[in-house]
Amino acid sequence: MTDNPDGAALLEEARRTLLETLLPLLPPERRYDGLMVANAMAIAAREAGQGDALFRESVNLLAALFPAAAPSENLRAQLLDLEARLAREIRAGLCNAPGPRRDAIRDYLRRSATTRLRLSNPKALSKPSR
Amino acid sequence: MTIDLAADGAAQERLCRFVAAAAGATRATIVSIAPLRGGAIQENWAVDIEMEGGAGAGRHALVLRTDAPSRVAASHGRAQEYALLKLARAAGVAVPEPLWLCSDPAVVGRAFYLMRRMPGVAAGHRIVKDISLGGPRDALAERLGQELARIHAVTPQTVTRLAPDQSFEFLTPASAIPGLDRVKLYRRYLDDLGDPHPALEWGLHWLELNSRPAGEITLVHQDFRTGNYLIDERGLTAILDWEFCAWGDPMSDIGWFCAKCWRFGATEREAGGIAARAPFYRGYEAASGRRIDPAAVHYWEVAAHVRWAVIALQQAARHLSGAQRSLELALTGRILPELELEVLNLVDAAEGRAA
Repeated sequence: MTDNPDGAALLEEARRTLLETLLPLLPPERRYDGLMVANAMAIAAREAGQGDALFRESVNLLAALFPAAAPSENLRAQLLDLEARLAREIRAGLCNAPGPRRDAIRDYLRRSATTRLRLSNPKALSKPSR
Repeated sequence: MTIDLAADGAAQERLCRFVAAAAGATRATIVSIAPLRGGAIQENWAVDIEMEGGAGAGRHALVLRTDAPSRVAASHGRAQEYALLKLARAAGVAVPEPLWLCSDPAVVGRAFYLMRRMPGVAAGHRIVKDISLGGPRDALAERLGQELARIHAVTPQTVTRLAPDQSFEFLTPASAIPGLDRVKLYRRYLDDLGDPHPALEWGLHWLELNSRPAGEITLVHQDFRTGNYLIDERGLTAILDWEFCAWGDPMSDIGWFCAKCWRFGATEREAGGIAARAPFYRGYEAASGRRIDPAAVHYWEVAAHVRWAVIALQQAARHLSGAQRSLELALTGRILPELELEVLNLVDAAEGRAA
């Protein structure tokens, strides 16, 4: 429990102040720095609103691919461990055989990239891919 | 050691003494000096110098280029880049004239060289948006194709004739299958970085399975893209950023130039965000006498996104390790998902799946 506004809301408001009030006051050669700060704040605000939902979804999808994987309290560590296993399998050519497992891996990779892109640069998702 | 050249009078004096000696002038004076927004790998300064005596008496608009405090693994140092600029000039490529190299770190804190400052704009976002720059865009794309063909005319066989007084042993050699060399290298970089990246492994495995021998091995620029050339109101003025040159498959540079990640948002203009592929390919094919195989370019576009992803991870690591704290490097780490998605799309397209 935190006081209101929460961290994500504070970041959002701080970013609005930066863009609307401070950015026009910056000399032209510092404008890019201002925009980068605004971008970093936007990413952090989106991520703060996300909690650990992203880790949880990925871990669930990967755990289905590696049923023997030991569950862990630490979602982030578990995700790293599962992704390391997946990376090793792909590199070793163990995911080449056409079939449901290969399809599931492809779907996972696409889903993971899309979910993370929604945090880092959601505008890129609304553009046509070609 | 980092020296702020704009504020350090003693460093400026040492720089002036170096320039006067190198140019055969009796005296050199700095008229103005200011940082240029450059790449994340080196620092560039715009320097205006007034020289007295000697053949170069008068005012000179120069760029001083020095290493940044930390480096990306594959990039050459300033001495090598200086040699490459001389080679490119001998090969007829439009490059800023390299003037003097200083390997003595006592002058400005790190090795540097000076070159003539060329007019124009390099910023990718501006070039893609402001079509009043660079003349008719199809002609610009065609010209860039011609310049790239000149770079690829440099081969392990012609290099000594073009630059007899320089050694290019520092250029990474290529095997008969340069794609496999790249796969090995990027896997090693990923292993060094530590964290798993299964989507990049997906792309690397496809690159491994689909690698083909190169038609021939030539000099490759390895960073020939929008953002790394200068244009003024009329057209191209110079090709920049030679620090990644190596021996390799010439098609790799075509793939890098056309890769979606270097179109700066203008994704429908597939040649660097400035034009369709046709004029770029036309200029290249006419000047090189080589045919461009679209399947080979597609292969190298997959490789381009994997490569940029690995470099982005290395740049983010420079920030995360504390070697060079920078918001720009930090944010570079967050472009990974976009690159991964394009790797997946390109591999799917090659396998006949709709993206």
